[in-house]
Amino acid sequence: MSEINLELNRIAKRFGGNQAVDHVSFSVTEPQLIGMIGPNGAGKTTLTNLMSGMLKPSSGTIYLNGRRIDGRAPYDVTRAGLGRTFQITRALNRMTVMENMMVPGLAHEPGARQSDLEERARQILSLLTIDHLTNEFSRALSGGQRKLLELGRLLMLDPSVIILDEPFAGVHPRLQETIYNYIHRVHEDGKAIILISHNMGAVFELSQRLIVLNFGALIADGEPQQVKNDPAVIDAYLGHDEDD
Amino acid sequence: MGLFSRFERAIDDGIGRRKLGYALLALVIVFFLWFPNDTSQSNYAKTVFISGFFYAIMSSSWALLAGIAGQFSFGHMAFMGIGAYVAGLIARDGLMFATLGIAITPDSISSIGAIVIGTVVAGLVGLVIGWLLLRLRAAYLALFTIAFSELFRIAMLTEYDYTGGSNGLSLRPLLQVADVDTARQIEYYLMFGLLIACLLVMYRVVQSPIGMFLRAMREDEDAASALGVNVVRYKILVFVFTSMIVGLAGAIFYSDVGSERIIPEQLEVLQMSLIIAYAVIGGMESLFGAAAGAFISRYLLEAMREVVITLPFGLTMADGSDAFVWETGAWRFALFGLVMVFTLRYMRNGLLYPIFNWFSGRDLIMKETVAKRKPDEHDMALPEDRDE
Ligand SMILES: Nc1ncnc2c1ncn2[C@@H]1O[C@H](COP(=O)(O)OP(=O)(O)OP(=O)(O)O)[C@@H](O)[C@H]1O
Ligand SMILES: [Mg+2]
Repeated sequence: MSEINLELNRIAKRFGGNQAVDHVSFSVTEPQLIGMIGPNGAGKTTLTNLMSGMLKPSSGTIYLNGRRIDGRAPYDVTRAGLGRTFQITRALNRMTVMENMMVPGLAHEPGARQSDLEERARQILSLLTIDHLTNEFSRALSGGQRKLLELGRLLMLDPSVIILDEPFAGVHPRLQETIYNYIHRVHEDGKAIILISHNMGAVFELSQRLIVLNFGALIADGEPQQVKNDPAVIDAYLGHDEDD
Repeated sequence: MGLFSRFERAIDDGIGRRKLGYALLALVIVFFLWFPNDTSQSNYAKTVFISGFFYAIMSSSWALLAGIAGQFSFGHMAFMGIGAYVAGLIARDGLMFATLGIAITPDSISSIGAIVIGTVVAGLVGLVIGWLLLRLRAAYLALFTIAFSELFRIAMLTEYDYTGGSNGLSLRPLLQVADVDTARQIEYYLMFGLLIACLLVMYRVVQSPIGMFLRAMREDEDAASALGVNVVRYKILVFVFTSMIVGLAGAIFYSDVGSERIIPEQLEVLQMSLIIAYAVIGGMESLFGAAAGAFISRYLLEAMREVVITLPFGLTMADGSDAFVWETGAWRFALFGLVMVFTLRYMRNGLLYPIFNWFSGRDLIMKETVAKRKPDEHDMALPEDRDE
């Protein structure tokens, strides 16, 4: 089992006068399934970008498995073991589905045999039920299929921590089922998952721990049931939800 | 069943497309190897071929840079010029770095040495430009490289004491062969060999994982980088690599192999646009397509300098000749422009793409997957839309 130790210390990001992420600290030390929620504009995607190296924090530090990763280039963070998907999917359009899988495969294991990587890619694609699209250009995929492809690509990197930014947005319930299976499988594999979603049903069903952001600040972090009854959270976010 | 599909079937059941493709390629190579030995061919025809090979190197390396790696640069000709000018200046004036203890005198350097230095300098400038371009994409990158290229051209034009200004600069001849026919023959094989070598090296790069990373970078730099691709490294690498290729080609071509002097006019944006046009017509995502596009375009542009139309029905021109000679000096470029417009509108992958595709058997895979794409459960998935 791979080591997991992600540690955020007072991470902050300002865009002009807007404090998008406000001194957030938390750590992940076991293969947990963590839900991250918060209203639109709360800073979830920005925090993902800070963790994955797409943005440099204004202040604070992030360590992953003993290595400092804040401000490092995204490819370096990826190699350190943190993978992420994009809220708006980013398929490599004019490359085939297989090539989309091989890019992270070869980047992660430059010495690996092409055929071994292809075999692994095929297994992942069939787990995600898109193996019939292997030779298709990814621009030909539907929105939901692209989501699945993004999830699949991540596994080629064998990360220890995965951040999924809105994997359920715009997907049909049946496909949602496939994504559930994926999340369970990846979790059983000993990886930590941070699941960002506005789909409360999915978040409460899947998460073992819940992190709530509001106006860039972390306002709750704990057991889902406990967080759900936290007055600050109800006030900021869940109050308008009809969930009991 | 149509004649063509019957032919297709016969090939697929028999030798196979790939093998047929390789066989035809071998034939083409044999033709080019044989050509200068055809005594009926003039030295002029060989010269046209030599410059065709040179432009094939230019366009195919640009295809690697722009079509495969997505760096739509207008600086390609400038890098070629750097190779040529540096080789010429070093061989004529030498180089002194007293403090570093480097002293290259014109007597101590061979023309090959000068070409090597020209190539290395082109690569070093490619490194700097690649680094400066890191944060620039698409149109901004194109504008930046136009500015860089013009800067270099104007510098070469203005510093005429050193560069000969608009008269150009003569490089030290690479070959010392007295007999013109023999010289032309050697020059021909030299340039053809260089083209083949460049294509093979570039092809290996494109087929390797690096080629895949370059394409990923073209598609989406952020996504590629999130997938573990060191985008900075590959962006700089592709600039250095292609700059060295064209620097080398320029230094050799203008060392009296294809042309006896490099002139700043050659570095104008118009000339660069022609390199791009050849690549686009042949297929800018294919090295061989771009190379063939450049060679064929050069050849046709040369052949169409004038069109001779033999008049039918015993008609004669006013001067009594039975042929109408149409001076197409400028019109051939207009026709060329038309071909380019057609390509961009209807055959984005280049006019030669369908041919390459057919031989590679890739269109077989496509047909199969398109047929397989029956509506299935996933097609019920909603298109990408806003959350909730
Ligand atoms: N590149 C940027 N430049 C300026 N402001 C930004 C940038 N990215 C995000 N912001 C701002 O930061 C705040 C947090 O945005 P973010 O995208 O992180 O929210 P989010 O929690 O992911 O919201 P959603 O649920 O809608 O996806 C918003 O106010 C947004 O306008
Ligand atoms: Mg977001």
